[in-house]
Amino acid sequence: MKITAIALNTFKEAIRDRILYLLLFFAVVSLIFSRLLAILAVGDRVKIIMDVGLASLSLFGALMAILMGTSLVFKEIDKKTIYTLLSKPIHRYQFLLGKFFGLILTLLVMLFLLSLIFIVIVLLHSGRIEWGMFAALAFIFLELCLITAVAMFFSCISSPILSSVFSLSFYLIGHLSWGLETLLNKIKPGFGKTIAQVFYTLIPDLENFNFKTEIVHHLSVPPQVFLYSTIYGIMYTLFVLTAAMLVFRKRDFA
Amino acid sequence: MENALKITGLFKSFKSEFLRKNIEILKGISLSVKEGEIFGYLGPNGAGKTTTLKCILGLIFPDKGKIEILRLPYLSLKAKARIGFLPENPYFYDYLTASEFLRFYCQLHQIKKADIEEKTSTLLSLVGLEKSSSLQLRKFSKGMLQRIGLAQALLNEPELVLLDEPLGGLDPLGRKEIRDIIVRLKDEGKTVFLSSHILQDIEMVCDRVAIIVSGQIINQGRLYDLISQKILFTETTISGIKEEELKRYGECVSSYGGRTLVKITDEKKVEKILELAHRKKAEIHSLVPRTESLEDLFVGTVKQE
Amino acid sequence: MKKKFLIILLILSCAAFMGLKIKLDNIPRKTVPGSSFIYIPSGKFLKYATFGYSSLMADIIYIWSIQYFSDQKIPNRFDYLDHVFSIIAELDPRYFDAYQIGAIFAVYDAGDFDTCEKILNRGLEKNPGEWIFPFQAGHYAQMLLKDYKIAQKYFKKTMEIEGAPAMAKRLYANAAFEQTDYKTAMRNWVEVYQMAEKEGDERVRKIAANHIYRTQASIDIESINEGLNKYKEQFGHYPEELIELAASGFLVEIPRDLDGNEYKYDPETGEVKSELWWKR
Repeated sequence: MKITAIALNTFKEAIRDRILYLLLFFAVVSLIFSRLLAILAVGDRVKIIMDVGLASLSLFGALMAILMGTSLVFKEIDKKTIYTLLSKPIHRYQFLLGKFFGLILTLLVMLFLLSLIFIVIVLLHSGRIEWGMFAALAFIFLELCLITAVAMFFSCISSPILSSVFSLSFYLIGHLSWGLETLLNKIKPGFGKTIAQVFYTLIPDLENFNFKTEIVHHLSVPPQVFLYSTIYGIMYTLFVLTAAMLVFRKRDFA
Repeated sequence: MENALKITGLFKSFKSEFLRKNIEILKGISLSVKEGEIFGYLGPNGAGKTTTLKCILGLIFPDKGKIEILRLPYLSLKAKARIGFLPENPYFYDYLTASEFLRFYCQLHQIKKADIEEKTSTLLSLVGLEKSSSLQLRKFSKGMLQRIGLAQALLNEPELVLLDEPLGGLDPLGRKEIRDIIVRLKDEGKTVFLSSHILQDIEMVCDRVAIIVSGQIINQGRLYDLISQKILFTETTISGIKEEELKRYGECVSSYGGRTLVKITDEKKVEKILELAHRKKAEIHSLVPRTESLEDLFVGTVKQE
Repeated sequence: MKKKFLIILLILSCAAFMGLKIKLDNIPRKTVPGSSFIYIPSGKFLKYATFGYSSLMADIIYIWSIQYFSDQKIPNRFDYLDHVFSIIAELDPRYFDAYQIGAIFAVYDAGDFDTCEKILNRGLEKNPGEWIFPFQAGHYAQMLLKDYKIAQKYFKKTMEIEGAPAMAKRLYANAAFEQTDYKTAMRNWVEVYQMAEKEGDERVRKIAANHIYRTQASIDIESINEGLNKYKEQFGHYPEELIELAASGFLVEIPRDLDGNEYKYDPETGEVKSELWWKR
């Protein structure tokens, strides 16, 4: 499959990017830091390690996704590698999808490495493996897929710097949308409220992928939440990728 | 003879970001390339050569016009599967080795796995890079990049090969090698569309040319037809006759080591100067009639616009 | 891919995720709020981490804290009240609202005057010219704790700040009065009276006059009661009339109130009363 070929090629390219390893380094540092923080805490140390660990993974993962996603399409255009590529018998959408899957494969590998270190640290500290962590990690990966799609979308329409800014904004808005919900409750019902509600439903709710608190505190999560959140993530990613494909279709590569 | 490539009434303009004005790059390009010929596409910088090529390849979408590749819709995958393209100043993925790179592109052409190995090595030998198959592309010189670019363009044994400045950045030996490959392609029955600045090379290999200036085709046709066979002037290098005497026959262009280069426009005067030399027992070192070259045609055409 | 196909896909996926979002919102998720408090860093550290946006950070934390501390479903939500507001103070020392709201949460919702005091003192420490902080401390001490000693201390502090309202002094005097420190009370009420007279403030002058009357009445009644008790001790019963106290030598003279009227005396109970001081 052509998409697979492009995906593997993208993977090879991305995995050799040095900036990725810089971020990996910082992520590992913060994981170790969590262990130090634990010493300062009173009470349940493992909780802090898990909390800080998952948060670091989520944050650095997001940074990796944004960095790679935004430079991706831009680099191809800037360096003109895209000229020969698109002159081959492939559809433009195959190019985009190939790039996307290559990127998430790279993220999977990075996340896997970090998760391994994370689990080892937790194991060393508490001597037990928390099964909930795997769920939290899986959802972090899902969130990263969505962020990658978003970064790629912006990369198709503007320069890497702007794309990074927009992608970062998406990430922030996604985590703060609950604020809008609180605000919504205080608006009087009416046309304005309906518009605001539609807007609220449209903007991404990345908190749907956030199970860190429940996992860390051993709270139960109703299974539908896992199911719906997964589908939500997949649908939103599909939405963004489709938008990217639409934009990419008729783009002139001057 | 069927058309390998046919362009009719191609228009393309870009919006200038600053002035919000439409800048017309292509103003109605029409040309046709017959199967099995080597077609030269010339024009000064900014005339629209690369833009035309990008339109053909679907990298840019024209405002108006029709393009047919091998009598197929030009954007179809079927058409793309039968062409090869080498862009100007090619750049490829840094971190891949030459063979990894060709292998990747083979996969895009859906060439069977069993054949890939053979294909890549054949092509690497063809372009003279068999020794660099495991070298990473980022270590390639410009000339080497040009060659690997040509290799990827020929992977799928295309019927139509589009080359944008394929001889740029090559030393004379390299240029000869590429020229030979191009001629060999023609011998194999392929069609070559060659966009270039280097007029001497075009003159040497092309059957037909089109000259594009400011987005319009000014001249198009067989090279033989475009360039008149008339002798423009004759250049001769003589020693043993004083300049003042030679001046009567033509323009004394330069003089060095006793030898004078005379440019004679009048054909009759050529005979006279030969007689003079014979009489004076002077030495004629060279006698070269110059016909119109492509450069003359080109410069003359461009100057007119 | 065909454009139509992509657009349909776009709309479908959008509808799908919007629908799922609504579904997800309706499923309540358990939260353990306040759990991250254990390792919230100190305000000093946070200040550096916020790269100069410390006052914005203060705003954000402040707004969050209001929602948080108002949420009755959170168990033990006031455990870190002081900590949170100390962070806000560190980030933006001039955030007056925050000090006051923190104090209100502490004293009204948590019933914790000590924390309230702490927060307000912090406010004063970082803003020495703001009389509102000790003023509120005194106010809460007086209103809710009914502890006039503490109240007096804070009203004194308030008075010492330039620009403090005149009312502070009156409250100070009143607090002294409530602690039966009539001397201090009287001295201050007289000062208030004189100031009011000088400024031509009729309202305050009247108030001061009333309080002076009352204080004096209290002083007088106190001495009368002393005499009455000595009389009772000796004679076993209260005298019929106050004059008898003077006659018996327990009191040098029977004071009259400032209006020149006699104090009302009930020989049955031994109670001495003055006119209703605020109805004069």
